[in-house]
Amino acid sequence: MAENKRNPAAPRKRQTVDARESKNTHAPKGAARSQRNWKHPLRSWLGSHRDSASQALQRLRRHPLSSAMTILVMTIVLALPTGLAVLIGQVERLGVDWQRAAQLSVYLQDEVNASAAEQLRDSIAALDEVDEAQLLDKALALAEFQEHSGMGDALEQLSYNPLPSVILVTPASIEGGASALQPLRDRIAGMSGVELVQIDLLWVERLTSILAMLERFTGGLAVLLIFALLLVMTTTIRLAIESRREEIQIIKLVGGTDAFVRRPFLYIGMVYGLVAGILAWLLLAGGIAWLNTTVRQVAALYQSGFELLPMPAGDGLLLVAGAVLLGLLGAWLAVGRHIRDIEPQ
Amino acid sequence: MIRFDQVSKRYPNGHQGLDNLDFHIRTGEMAFITGHSGAGKSTLLKLVMCMERPSTGRVHIGGQDLHELGSDDIPYLRRQIGVVFQNHQLLFDRTVFDNVALPLIINGTPRDEIGRRVRAALDKVDLLKKENLYPISLSGGEQQRVGIARAVVHKPALLLADEPTGNLDPALSAEIMTLFEDFNRVGVTVLIASHDLPLIARLDHRMLTLHEGRLVRDGE
Repeated sequence: MAENKRNPAAPRKRQTVDARESKNTHAPKGAARSQRNWKHPLRSWLGSHRDSASQALQRLRRHPLSSAMTILVMTIVLALPTGLAVLIGQVERLGVDWQRAAQLSVYLQDEVNASAAEQLRDSIAALDEVDEAQLLDKALALAEFQEHSGMGDALEQLSYNPLPSVILVTPASIEGGASALQPLRDRIAGMSGVELVQIDLLWVERLTSILAMLERFTGGLAVLLIFALLLVMTTTIRLAIESRREEIQIIKLVGGTDAFVRRPFLYIGMVYGLVAGILAWLLLAGGIAWLNTTVRQVAALYQSGFELLPMPAGDGLLLVAGAVLLGLLGAWLAVGRHIRDIEPQ
Repeated sequence: MIRFDQVSKRYPNGHQGLDNLDFHIRTGEMAFITGHSGAGKSTLLKLVMCMERPSTGRVHIGGQDLHELGSDDIPYLRRQIGVVFQNHQLLFDRTVFDNVALPLIINGTPRDEIGRRVRAALDKVDLLKKENLYPISLSGGEQQRVGIARAVVHKPALLLADEPTGNLDPALSAEIMTLFEDFNRVGVTVLIASHDLPLIARLDHRMLTLHEGRLVRDGE
C-alpha cells in the first residue's frame, strides 16, 4: 500500500489505524509536525488565549456603541443591589453601635447616694446574666445626654439636673430579644434603690428587623438583577456569534475546534464584565461620596458625627471579580450549544 | 489516501446524493471529479471533509476510517486537509496575511514560524506584495489564490478543491490548475471537483465522472 508510507492524513489524536495499514507508518512529516507542536504546547495555548483576548478588545473598539450599551446596562444592574447592600451595611453599623451601648437602663431612686449606687452596680455586675454594668451618675448622665440626644441646648436652659443616676447593664446574651431579658429585668427591679428598669432593646429589635427585611429585599433584587444580567450577556454574545457565523464556519472548515471558536466569545464576556465591574465600583464610590455630604448634614442635626464610610477595596475587588465571572457565565451559556450547531455547509 | 467502499448518501428528503461509490485515490495522485451540477461532486467532497456522513459504506482518509471518528476528532482530520472553494470563503475583515495564517494559528504553530510559512505560501501564489491588503481589494483570481495559499500553508497531505475555477476566465483557470499541478509534483494528493471539461481534458490526469450520484467513468 504505497499510500500508507506517509499516512499523514491520519488525525493526530487517533493514530491507531488498523495494523495492516499502519505497519510501515514512519510518517516523517506528521511526526516532525506533532513533535514541534508538543514542544511548545503551553506557548501556543497561551498565544491562542492572547489572540482571543485581543479579539475581544477589538470587538469593543469596533462596536463602541453597542458595547457601551451592554456594559452600561451591566453596570447599573451590578451597582443597584451592591449599592443597597453597602447602605444597609452602613446603617447596621449605626445600629450595632447603639446596641452595644446598653440594653437595660436601671434608673436609681433620687435619694440613693454615690456609694450605695456603687454597691448596687457591683451586685448587678455579679449576676450571671450580666456581662457588664456601668454606673452613670447624674452628672455623667447629663453630659452624655447632652452629647448624644440632640437636645443638649435645651438642657442648658434648666437650672437643675433632671436626670437620675443610671446603671447601664449589658446582658451576657441578647438572644431571644426583649422577652428573654424579662426575668433579669424583674430581678433588678426588685433590688432596693431601683426606681425603674427599662429594656432598650425594643427599638433595636425594630431596626434590626427592618434591616433584615431590607436585606432580604436586596437579596431578592440581586437575584433578579443577576438573572437580567445573564440574559443581557447571553443576548449580546448570541448576536456576536450570529454576526460571525460565516467566520465560525470557515474556522471549523480549516480544523478549528469548538473550544478554539468559543474562546474569543468567552473573553468578550469577561472583558464586558471587567469593564462593567470597574464602572460599578466607580459609580458606588462616587455615589457614596455624593450622598455623604447630605448624610453629614443630617447627622449634624442630630449632633452625631456619623458618615458613610467609603467602600472597602476588598469589596470593590470582589465586585469586579464577580462581574467578570458573571460575564463569563453569561457568555458560556450563550456559546454552549450555539457554536456546536454552527457547522460548515 | 482516499478510499470509498460502497458509499451511498441519501438525504432525509429522499434525494440520492451518492449511490454505491467505490474508488481509491492513491497518495501523490492528482484526480478530477466531474459531472453535471447535482451529480454528487460536492457531496463527495463533504464526505471526505466529514461535513456529512455517508448513509451506508465506509470512507477512509489516509488509512483512517471516518466512521470511527468522533465529532471531537473531526477538527484534527481537517487540519490534515487543505480545501479550496469556488467562493473562496475568505474572512473579509482580516488581511490577506491573517487569512492565510488561520490554519497555522488553529494548529498552534509558533508565532515566529507563522510569518515565515505564510510568506512562503503567498510567494508560491505570487501575492507576496499584497499580504497587508484586505481581500475586498483583490480581483477574483487573486482572491482564489489567497484561498489556495491558505489551503497549502500548513502543508497538508491532501488538497481538495471544489470548482476552483468556477468564476474565472480561461487564462486564469489554466494558471490556477498549473498551481495545483505544482503542489501535486511535490507529493501532495490533489482532488478537484470541476465541470470545466475542456480545461480538464487538456490536463493529463485521472478523471472520475459522476452522473446522478453514480460513478459512470473512471480513467485518464
